[in-house]
Amino acid sequence: QTRAVTGQVVGTDGAALPGVTVIVKGGAQGTSTDTEGRYSLSVPANATTLVYSFIGYASKEVVIGTQSSINVTLASGATGLDEVVVVGYGTQSRRDLTGSVATVTAAQIANKPVQSFEQALQGQASGVNITTPNGVLNAPPVVRIRGVNSISLSSAPLYVIDGIPAFSGNSSAVGSVPNNPLSNINPNDIESVEVLKDASATAIYGSRAAGGVILVTTKRGKKGQSKISVDSWAGWTEPVRLYDVLNTAQYMEIKNEAVRNLNANLVAQGLAPSAIEGFRPTQDANGNTVDTRWYDYIYRTGFSTSNNINFSGGSEKTSYYTSVGYTDQKGMLEGNTFKRASGRINIDHKVFSRFTVGLRAGYTNSRTASPNSGSVGDGAFGTAGLGRLPLVLPPNVPARNIDGSYNISGAGIGPGANINPTSATAANPNGSPLLPGYYNPLVDLENNYFRSDGNEVQGSIYANLELIKGLNLRTTYGVYNIAFEDKAFYTPIAGDQYNVGSASNFYRTNKRWNWQNTLQYDVTLAGKHNLSFLAGNENQNTNIDRWGLNRSSVADPFFTTLQGGYVNVASSGNFQGENFLTSYFGRINYNFSSKYLATINVRRDGYSAWAKKWGNFYGASLGYAISEEDFWKNSSALSKVSFLKFTGSYGEVGNAQGIDDYASLRLYEAGLYGPSPTFYLSSVGNPELTWETSKKTDVGVSFGLLDDRITGDVAYYRNLLDGLILQVPQAASRGIPGGQIPDNVGSMRNTGVEINLRVDAIRKTDFTWSINANLTTLKNRVLALASEGQRIGTATSGLETVNYTKAGQSVGEILAVRSLGVNPENGRRLIQLRNEDGTFTTVQYNHSSTSTGNGWTTLDGRNSRAPNQLVDGEYFGPVIPTWYGGFDNSFRYKGFDLGVFVQFSGGNYIYNGTKAGLHDQRFWNNDVDILDRWTETNRGGEWPRVVYGDNTSNGSALIMSNNVEKGDFARLRNVSLGYSLQPTLISRLGMSSARFYVQVQNAALLTKYSGIDPEISTNGASNTGAGVDRNSVGQARTYTVGFNIGF
Amino acid sequence: CEDRLNPAPVAALNSAEAFDTPSRVLLQVNNMYDYMKAGSFLGGRYQVYGDIRANDFLNRTSNLVTGAAVWQHTVTESSQNDVINLWGAGYSAINQINVFLAGLEANSAKFTATPFPSDFATTATGYAAEGRFLRALAYYSLLQFYARPYTDGNGSKPGLPLRLKAELDLRDNDLARSTVAEVYTQILADLTFAEQNLPLTNTSNVTRAHRNTAIALKTRVYLSMARYADVVTEANKIVSATAPFRATTGVQHALQPSITTVFVGNQSTTESILSFPFTPQDAPGTQNQLAFYFLPNAQGGGGEYSLNANGVLSDPRFLATDERNTSFVTRVSNVPYLRKYQNGALSPAPYTDNAPVMRYSEVLLNLAEARFRTAGATDPQALALLNAVRTRSAPTGAYAAFTDVAAAVDAVLLERRIEFLGEGLRNNDLMRLQQTIPAKATISAVPPTAALYIWPIPNSELATNTLMTRN
Repeated sequence: QTRAVTGQVVGTDGAALPGVTVIVKGGAQGTSTDTEGRYSLSVPANATTLVYSFIGYASKEVVIGTQSSINVTLASGATGLDEVVVVGYGTQSRRDLTGSVATVTAAQIANKPVQSFEQALQGQASGVNITTPNGVLNAPPVVRIRGVNSISLSSAPLYVIDGIPAFSGNSSAVGSVPNNPLSNINPNDIESVEVLKDASATAIYGSRAAGGVILVTTKRGKKGQSKISVDSWAGWTEPVRLYDVLNTAQYMEIKNEAVRNLNANLVAQGLAPSAIEGFRPTQDANGNTVDTRWYDYIYRTGFSTSNNINFSGGSEKTSYYTSVGYTDQKGMLEGNTFKRASGRINIDHKVFSRFTVGLRAGYTNSRTASPNSGSVGDGAFGTAGLGRLPLVLPPNVPARNIDGSYNISGAGIGPGANINPTSATAANPNGSPLLPGYYNPLVDLENNYFRSDGNEVQGSIYANLELIKGLNLRTTYGVYNIAFEDKAFYTPIAGDQYNVGSASNFYRTNKRWNWQNTLQYDVTLAGKHNLSFLAGNENQNTNIDRWGLNRSSVADPFFTTLQGGYVNVASSGNFQGENFLTSYFGRINYNFSSKYLATINVRRDGYSAWAKKWGNFYGASLGYAISEEDFWKNSSALSKVSFLKFTGSYGEVGNAQGIDDYASLRLYEAGLYGPSPTFYLSSVGNPELTWETSKKTDVGVSFGLLDDRITGDVAYYRNLLDGLILQVPQAASRGIPGGQIPDNVGSMRNTGVEINLRVDAIRKTDFTWSINANLTTLKNRVLALASEGQRIGTATSGLETVNYTKAGQSVGEILAVRSLGVNPENGRRLIQLRNEDGTFTTVQYNHSSTSTGNGWTTLDGRNSRAPNQLVDGEYFGPVIPTWYGGFDNSFRYKGFDLGVFVQFSGGNYIYNGTKAGLHDQRFWNNDVDILDRWTETNRGGEWPRVVYGDNTSNGSALIMSNNVEKGDFARLRNVSLGYSLQPTLISRLGMSSARFYVQVQNAALLTKYSGIDPEISTNGASNTGAGVDRNSVGQARTYTVGFNIGF
Repeated sequence: CEDRLNPAPVAALNSAEAFDTPSRVLLQVNNMYDYMKAGSFLGGRYQVYGDIRANDFLNRTSNLVTGAAVWQHTVTESSQNDVINLWGAGYSAINQINVFLAGLEANSAKFTATPFPSDFATTATGYAAEGRFLRALAYYSLLQFYARPYTDGNGSKPGLPLRLKAELDLRDNDLARSTVAEVYTQILADLTFAEQNLPLTNTSNVTRAHRNTAIALKTRVYLSMARYADVVTEANKIVSATAPFRATTGVQHALQPSITTVFVGNQSTTESILSFPFTPQDAPGTQNQLAFYFLPNAQGGGGEYSLNANGVLSDPRFLATDERNTSFVTRVSNVPYLRKYQNGALSPAPYTDNAPVMRYSEVLLNLAEARFRTAGATDPQALALLNAVRTRSAPTGAYAAFTDVAAAVDAVLLERRIEFLGEGLRNNDLMRLQQTIPAKATISAVPPTAALYIWPIPNSELATNTLMTRN
């Protein structure tokens, strides 16, 4: 006996909601709404309740009673309590969840001017700190879930795309161009992203879960609906907050003043004032003085477009989602481009009532090109880096000579009219031209190239057999293959390969297969005991190969590719790795009337890279939804709190990410002794090496107030990382390859609190306002290193060491000597020395080009030792933010929607090495604030008296506190204004939905940080080298206009 | 599944299989030489540092990466490019050698069956002798920079940590310094073993060691220990009693008629006792190349160091007509540079001059000096040896006779400066005689009593080896 129920489902804005799932509670019948939000469903006579659910909206239950027509309004609720949450190897209702899982929905990810989806997660989820380390397209963001989770291995989360673990991290073989493999996933194909944070949620991923897990689920077709969507945007990207540097007149004034001061210093020592005021105007073709704004050659407004079309639908038996997408993005740096063409097919097909098969498949071709920005691949101190060149190069020399040729001299830029101030000798009284040694960026931009292309095939097929009701046997076989082709060309005209010219090509393949088999049994006993069992095994094999060639000494400028004519050829970039992971895992979920909740996850992993291959991992959690108790529901006072659940979890998971495939082995590799081959001991290995362990504790409470108009959760977390692999330094005289041996010896702890809050502040038919906010605190402590008192330095781009990791402190703190400002008496930099007895002495620096003493004196004029970072330095506290979060406001008025998203972060320190360089008194150009330097008439000047050649007073040669700044900021990360056409209009146009929008990404930045961008991390994803800003390019601002149209 | 959990790398060999075939063992022999010729060690920088510490070269670039601190005596415990890297490269070579020697012993049972030929035990002993020869060369070379000369207190001063075992795991990290004498004792033991077990000739007699190579090094070692009688004994094994001087057993070392032929091409004449080879595929590495340091920019070098016009160039005994002057000194804008390493063009061949370690002329001059000191200033063979080296390049420059030992030795030492300019022997000579390191340009002299007379022990050792002591 059945009857029909019909109706329409609309959102709070009154717009029809297509694709809403409507099912009979406790029954098998269901359908979904059509393009106008209408549905019709035959329900059994004994059915009592219908459940309406839709991703991104709070689901709703309605008692049928006698109604034959039921119209429903669903409230959007990204973190609604009843939404379905994807967890490892399954799904769960958020209401029943005892683990810590954050969900980010499609709307928060799609249609943003980003290259990879993680960039769009920034600020969106508590416990997830995402940093954009530079403004180069397709540079991987630095993602940290609940703190830095390793020292030597990777702290990044495990990414899992539709159940298949993904490749992540910069995979380009060419230093200047980054390539993030996750950019091969089209963000518009993503249905939801789940972030697994605590032991209960992550333990099912066992030995790879220490850094958390990010699950990406791509879109599926929905039953009873056929839909085509077109999503397009166009955008304009421009640089913001560039430093103001001196123009030609100011430059010549400052630098020649510095020369005069140097001469004065020489005279004061009884020496001849031999330095020449060599900073002189160069004339252009019209006889005007050259005043080059180097930024104009390097930065631009980049135009980008993105177009996506998808069609999806489903019948009783089959549902499908297919899409094609193409994006062509141009960054703010000349020559920086990213292009991606992608296609996807997701199919689910019910062969028999109990047997389902399906496919998830994506293909992507991505192409990234970048000039040498000096911002990736350890290039901070390069003489070609485009982050650095416009700050260093003299403004009074041109990019091109009058005849149009490049202004070059040898590899570097030509001198113009400038004379090297210290080059005069008796034999050469007029001095020699000033050759900066830095490169002319125009030569690099117009002749060199650095490219990284990716071709990715990613996907899986599955078969699911329901053996008996509730008992599902499932097998999934997935592949994840990427081919990378990386190319670099350097011209012989000038620059890095001056007079030589070289081309390099690298080809890398990442090949992975993954086979999972699971048995899942869901059963309800006595109507109240809800049980869910999962058992499974998984095998995964990964091969990575790379080979490459470098050809040098180009035969003719005609050749710019590897295939051309060259004299020399050498193999380059060879790599071979293979690893295998085999696992058994299980889970038990139990809940009693959704009131008492318990989950146990276990996993046993065997991994090939370790010497001790097998490890056991687990996580267990308990939950108590006190609001489900009758006394609560029946109390008018208590039931104002519509939902209240306490959870707690503990477990131990592992970290294997980033370990070399053969790290535990003792190996010989081949080399050359002249013409003869060799075998050399390349690594001694460690026969005890095994996983790092993360012991995770989580205590939380989630709540819903006022009929869930306010929902939220608060959690305390504590991750104790044990057995951290550290490279134990060996006595240099042991001659061990690499000088160190990896061993499981370190430990570290992350603790903090996470708060999520979601408020439907206003819910009117015409006007809604919802607030989504999250805040996370983090305290990181290194507890033990390889030996007592060990201090691990992490060098920036292999040169300047700012970060030191020490037990008892946060990882990688900045160590800098204390600057006490400028001595108003004489304009010298004041630095605090720490004496052996613990007292302090103030010393001052006066630069001179001769070596009678080192330039350091006490305030009463006695010679002093020079300050030393290791002896006199102070630690400045954490370089990773101690608090961060996001604050998202969505307004909707009739057809208009407005999104205002603020991301914030702080509590960390930044070493602003770029600022040090910008006040260097070699020929380098300076920030305009140098005009406030100390002079006889400006004794309160902020900057020391300028002395030519002085690279100490500014911090180039001495890490000082003057260049250490707080990193607090709030960024208006995204503002979007949209207008959706009224349903009546769009149906007349034959469309089901239409929205037009304008959007600004990185609209504004509120910070006291004086550099370009407080998010800059010159050392990229380094665990121990965060918080350094050295000549990197900052984030751009992007304006986009776009539309989403559905048919 | 267990197999899959133990994937074997295909581009690296598991250590358990390293001694399974004769060819693998041979490749490891080649490797010991390769580590000795590391750019930071005897593949370039040792030779450069040996010369620029003294006064025959002037630094032109003030670049700390290319030895400016060595030249101006401002190296510290934390000087990366010289103090730390030379130590590290030297000991890396020593450990590769020790690992190989231990492996030969541990795997000796394999050598008696196929695929090894029946006489492989002898071959293996010869390989061990090559290893011990190289270990002796490594320790000797490190001693010249990081320890007081043997002649200062007969080797009683702190020497080096004497690592003789394969270092492969986390054990035995800390090790105290042996005395200089103890290190020399080990060097001589290694060289004696090498002399007794090296083949008379090797597959290459310039880039691989043979018996005469070990004997030649012994003359250098004994000279540094001021054991002149032993120098004479050793040198006599490979120097004929009368001119033309040559080795009569083993490899027939002899002077070439012209020194330029020694440095043309690949230093492959019988005058070169040991040189380390480079090819475009096995290049010396950036800022390690001898030609890069010494050739002027205009001739394809880096122009890092020019010759000091007030150094040996200014000595009247370095004749203008001397072939070593006419062929090996080049002037750009009146600035003299050394042009001994001529493959200086960056492109197409990336500085592939061999790095010289020992030449036969050194053995002759070692013997000459030892004979002057033991047999007196009038020793005719000593004079003949000295003149043999000198008149080859300066036919008109023969010394007639000496009446006093000091003058005779001084002539030999000057000849060494001229003959081995840019070959890195100068520091060895200053150290063994505890001579003041002369002043040059604005840089003051360093007397033997000064702390910086020898290099500091690098902090890479001090920070990791609790038993290590400072210089």
